[in-house]
Amino acid sequence: MSLLSVRDLTKRFGGVTAVEGVSFDVHEGTIKAVIGPNGAGKSTLFNLLTGFDRPDAGSVTFKGMDLLGVRPCRVVKRGVARTFQNTQLFEEMTALENVLVGTDGSFRGGFIRSAMRIGTRAEERSARSRALHFLRRVGVEEWADTAATDIPHGVRRSLEIARALATEPELLLLDEPAAGLNASETHLLRDALYRIRDEGVTIVIVEHDVGLVMDVSEEIVVLDRGCKIAEGPPLLIQKDARVIEAYLGEEGAADDN
Amino acid sequence: MKMLRRGKSLSRAGKSGALVLALLGVVMLIVVPLAGPERYLLKVLDFVGIAVIVTAGLALLFGYAGQVSLGHAGFVGIGAYTSAYLVSTVGVPWLVGVAAAVLLSTLGGLILALPSLRLKGHYLAMATLGFNEIIYVMFREARGITGGHDGFGGIPYPSIGGFTIDTPLGVYLLVWAVAALVVFFVWSLVQGRPGRAMRALHGSEIGAEASGIDTVKLKVRVFALSAALAGLAGALYAHAIGFISPSSFGLDQSIIYLAIVVVGGGGSIVGPVVAAILLSLLPYADALLPNLSQSTVTLLQAWETDIYGLTMIVVAILAPGGLASLMRRRKGREETVSA
Repeated sequence: MSLLSVRDLTKRFGGVTAVEGVSFDVHEGTIKAVIGPNGAGKSTLFNLLTGFDRPDAGSVTFKGMDLLGVRPCRVVKRGVARTFQNTQLFEEMTALENVLVGTDGSFRGGFIRSAMRIGTRAEERSARSRALHFLRRVGVEEWADTAATDIPHGVRRSLEIARALATEPELLLLDEPAAGLNASETHLLRDALYRIRDEGVTIVIVEHDVGLVMDVSEEIVVLDRGCKIAEGPPLLIQKDARVIEAYLGEEGAADDN
Repeated sequence: MKMLRRGKSLSRAGKSGALVLALLGVVMLIVVPLAGPERYLLKVLDFVGIAVIVTAGLALLFGYAGQVSLGHAGFVGIGAYTSAYLVSTVGVPWLVGVAAAVLLSTLGGLILALPSLRLKGHYLAMATLGFNEIIYVMFREARGITGGHDGFGGIPYPSIGGFTIDTPLGVYLLVWAVAALVVFFVWSLVQGRPGRAMRALHGSEIGAEASGIDTVKLKVRVFALSAALAGLAGALYAHAIGFISPSSFGLDQSIIYLAIVVVGGGGSIVGPVVAAILLSLLPYADALLPNLSQSTVTLLQAWETDIYGLTMIVVAILAPGGLASLMRRRKGREETVSA
């Protein structure tokens, strides 16, 4: 059964159609990639799926429930977490605190119980041990006590994944997790993605690093100028004439990278 | 808002700071009355305690959640006039008056939270400034209720049941007992989940939403709580001093509250509370130092706002994280030495 089902999704910004009639399914326990040249509408697609933007037409269904019109924080509570192309970390907070924010939904104590210190200690301790677990899961536990602003770029991307995992999602959307990573960091990322999937989290990844995408994903959706031009397993996508044209066409233009 | 930087070992530094503060509080509660219940000194300390309560709430809103307010004196005023009117004109019991004051200022906070859902930074500052101006004009013009320019006098002392707190020492103890409770609750709040969520909201609103934090709900709650505390402070002020007038609740006072939080430092409760004590004592330095010459006191009072402004500039340049960052830095050095 498909975990996430996207149907005829369309989003226009003024005269520009960023996403046009895109449909695809994501199956439980798989890694699916969304690729495409710059400006193909990949990030817009993520924003539409996670409530940060509203589509003009189409539908998004997660586990049979409509996700459209649901606010971002509620999308998270339903089990869909994400990262951002421009990492959205809490700069002044430590890595551990960043991930602890992700565990927010697991707390029962609100303002009153916290102010009175009723049952907060046990909750806090359990959240801390889970946060550490997620830091380890992506291999950045050594940075736990460092403020995000002092953490190197590659680690920041992993840290954001750890924070997303801390919300205990069933579906994880990663927006260019390998951007700016060197070869060894990309290698670590790949291992982390497999581990995360093997623990039962379905992954959708938007990525420019074609090598990584071909490696990890079971299925690929290719977008070009807002439209889906191909979908299928990596080996077929590599040979698809329209995909090659879209990418070569961009290289022929050779400017907007 | 870059001024509100936070250190790394926040909770540890916060804990030791809070310990110092608690000790200070105990010393003040015991020693000050013993040292001689001087009327003037106690009244000055009432002002200080009231400023501490307002500051604790504003530190939550601005120092933690990153939502600026130039309207807090307005909330203090709502609290003061509500309780003053209800207790002295209508004749309800003191506690009911205070409860109504808190309720009404909370309501004001909920209203002011609305623009915060859409506006950020300077724009939110302007919206809250407008709120304060409107409130100020209302205090001045609604003469039937507030007494207008001439003020509202003869506000009765706090009383619970048949027991009236009518001595300067009693009022002082009441104000500081409430202040201590407020600081404790607010400090507990920021140690755990709510404080973390507020800092996340400040750090990245998008990131906070993506982490499952309902930023709308959070902003509304922090605004309401912060306004409620200001209203509580206002109600205490009215009954402690016995006289209120619009000039105590104008924009200039709101700016002073904000200045106190900036000087105290973001992401800290202890820092702003210490700043509140120091800065609100400044114009009344003669209460603590009886040998101070009259002309020095007059000078201090005449240049009060200028001194605040200068302090802010000096803090912004030398210690952008405010008093809180200085405390953290010292703590950090101690740790390196002992390691």
